[in-house]
Amino acid sequence: MGISATELAEAPTGSHEQPEGKKLAGRSPTQIALQRLRKDKLAVVCGIIVLLMILAAVFAPVICNILNIYPTTATIPYDPSKVLHFGGASFGLPKQGPPEHGYWAAHPLGLAPGTAVDNLARLLYGLRTSLLVASIATIASILIGVVLGLIAGFSRGWLDRIIMFVTDLFLSFPFILGALAMAPILVAHFQHNLNTLARVQLFSLIFILVIFGWMGLTRLIRGQVLSLREREFVMAAQVMGVPTSRILFKELLPNLVAPIVVATSLSLPGYVTAEAGLSYLGIGLTGTPSLGQTINDAQSYWQQYPLYLWAPVITITVLVLALNLLGDSVRDAFDPRTRR
Amino acid sequence: MTGFIVRRVLTSILVVILTSIFVFVLFFKGLGDSPARNYCEKLGPGKCTAQKLDSIKQQMGFDKSVAYNYGVWAKGVFVGRDNVYVDGKLYKCPAPCLGISINTQNTVWSELKQKYPATITLAVGGASIYLVLGVLLGALAARWRGTAADRVLVGSTLIVSAIPFYLVALLAWIYLSLQLKIFPTTGYYPITQNPGKTISWMMLPWLVIGLTNCTSYARFTRGQMVETLNEDYIRTAMSKGVKTNRVLFKHALRAAIVPVITIFGLDFATLLAGTIFTERIFDIDGIGKWSLDALSTPIDLQVISAGVLVSSVLIVVANLLVDIFYSFLDPRVSVA
Repeated sequence: MGISATELAEAPTGSHEQPEGKKLAGRSPTQIALQRLRKDKLAVVCGIIVLLMILAAVFAPVICNILNIYPTTATIPYDPSKVLHFGGASFGLPKQGPPEHGYWAAHPLGLAPGTAVDNLARLLYGLRTSLLVASIATIASILIGVVLGLIAGFSRGWLDRIIMFVTDLFLSFPFILGALAMAPILVAHFQHNLNTLARVQLFSLIFILVIFGWMGLTRLIRGQVLSLREREFVMAAQVMGVPTSRILFKELLPNLVAPIVVATSLSLPGYVTAEAGLSYLGIGLTGTPSLGQTINDAQSYWQQYPLYLWAPVITITVLVLALNLLGDSVRDAFDPRTRR
Repeated sequence: MTGFIVRRVLTSILVVILTSIFVFVLFFKGLGDSPARNYCEKLGPGKCTAQKLDSIKQQMGFDKSVAYNYGVWAKGVFVGRDNVYVDGKLYKCPAPCLGISINTQNTVWSELKQKYPATITLAVGGASIYLVLGVLLGALAARWRGTAADRVLVGSTLIVSAIPFYLVALLAWIYLSLQLKIFPTTGYYPITQNPGKTISWMMLPWLVIGLTNCTSYARFTRGQMVETLNEDYIRTAMSKGVKTNRVLFKHALRAAIVPVITIFGLDFATLLAGTIFTERIFDIDGIGKWSLDALSTPIDLQVISAGVLVSSVLIVVANLLVDIFYSFLDPRVSVA
C-alpha cells in the first residue's frame, strides 16, 4: 500500500546536478528530469503501455458500443439448446467461442460461464474502475499528505506533534483490516438497495485507500520542510512579512515538486494492486466491474476455461508492472543518485 | 534512555486504547441500528418485530450509551464477564473476554487461540526464508557490485516486487499444486501432531511468501552493504589482509544488518496480522481466513472486531519493540 519505508528512504531530495551540454540557461529541474525520462527506453515503453491502458479505460463505453458488448447484462438470451449451458456437466460454459468452441469474433475473450456476460467488456470496464479508483485515491491522498506535511513541518511545536501522532496511529493500523472492518458495515447499511450499495462501495473503497495512504507522503514532506524552512529564502520572506500561507504554497511547495511527483508515480500501482486485491477477497467492489472480482469468479474455472482467468491476471500484472517500472524511472530521472 | 522508553510505552498504550475505541465505535455504532438487529434478523423472516428488537437491545445493553458499553466491554477484557447475552442465551465469558462468536457460540478468545498457531507457523516459515535468502543475496550482490549477476538481481527485484503478491500465490497454487502436483495439498496441520505433514502442507505458501519478499530484502541489504563497505574500518580490515569473505560477513554484515532487522520487525508484525491473501488462497485456517469467513451472513461482528483489534495491538507492540531495540543499538534515536 502506498509507498514503503524503503522507497521513501530512496526518494530524491531534488536535483543539484548541472545539466550536461553547452546551453546552461533556462531549464528547471522538472524539465531536466523529463528529458532524462525521454532517454530512458524502459520508461518510454512502460509509458506507452500505460497510455494505451488509460485510453482503453477512458473509451471503454465507446469501444463496447462499437463491438456491441455489455459489461453487466447477459449478451445472449438464455437458450440452452442453441447457445449456452448454465450449470450442469458443461460447467455453465458457452456453447460458442472459447474455450471449447474456438475463437469467436463477436466475443474475442468469450463469455463468462453462468452469466453470459462478455469478458472483454468486463475487462475494459474493470480497467476503467481500477484506474479511476487509483487516480482519485492518489490525488486525494497526495492533497492530504502535502497539506498535513507542510503544516506539520512548518509549525513545529504542538501542532506538529499532534499531526505526527495521528500519522503514526494510522501507520500502525493495517489498511486491509480497515477494509475488512468497513465492508460488513456498508453491507448492513445498504443491503436492500444493490445500486446504491455498488456506488457506496466504490466511494468507501476510495475512502479506505486514502485514509490509509496519505501517511508516507506526510512524513516525507514534513522532513523536507523541516530542512527547507531553515534556508535563507524562507527567512527572507518571513522578515519581509509574507503571510504564512503564501510562504507555504508559493515559496515551499515549488521546491517539493520532485518528491511529490515521485510519490505519485509510486503510489498509483500500489492503489491498483490494493483495489484488485480487496475486490478479489470480496471486501472491495461487488456491484461494479472489477478485475479482482473477475479473478475471484474465474479461479474455479482454471482448468476448463483458462482464458477467463488469464485475461484479468495478465491485464493487472502488465498494468502494475508498467506503472511500477515507470515510477522507478521517474524516481531515477528526478534523482540519478538513487541508482548506484 | 529510560525517559525515551517510558514515553514510547505510554504512546503505544494510548494508541492501543484509541484503536480499541475506534473499533468499538465502528462496530457497535457504525451499523444503522445496533448489532441487536443482526441477532434479531437471525430469528427468521417476519419474526423480527419492533418489540422483539427492543427487547434484544435491552438484554444486550444497547439501549445504554456507547461510553457505557465500551466500559463494560473494556472491563470484560481484563476481568471477564459472566452475563454476555447472545441470541437468546446467556454465556459466561472469562477474561480476556472479547465476546461470543455468533456463528459458533464459542468465546472469541478460545477461537483466537485455536486459529493463531496456523498464522504463526505460516508467518515464521515464510519470514525465515525471505530474511535469510534476502540478506544472503543482498550481501553477495554488494560483494560483486557492478557485475552482471548484480544487475540481474537488482532487475529481478524490480520485477518481482512489482507483481501483486496474490496473483503469484494464486497461480502458484493453481499450477504447481493443483495441475502439476509438484506440491501436495496446502492447508494447516498442527505442528505438534505431525511436523512432517505440517512442513509438506506449508511448503508452497512458505516458498511463495519467501521468494516474493526476499527480493526487496536483498535490495535493501545490498544498499546498506554498499554504504558500509565504503567505511574506513572496512578499508582498514582489507588493508590488514583479512580475507574478503571474513570482512564481508564478519565486519560489514554486522553493521549493515541493523536497519534490515528494523524493517523486518515491522514487516513480521504486518505479516502476522495480514496473511489474509495467503490463508484465503491456500486454504489455511488462520486468523485471516477466520476474519474473512466471519463476513458471511450473519456477520460475526465479535470475531471481526477481535481480529482487527488483536492484529493492530500486535503491530503496535512490534513497533514498540523495534524502537526500543533500535535505541539500544543506536543511541542517537532517543535524542530525536
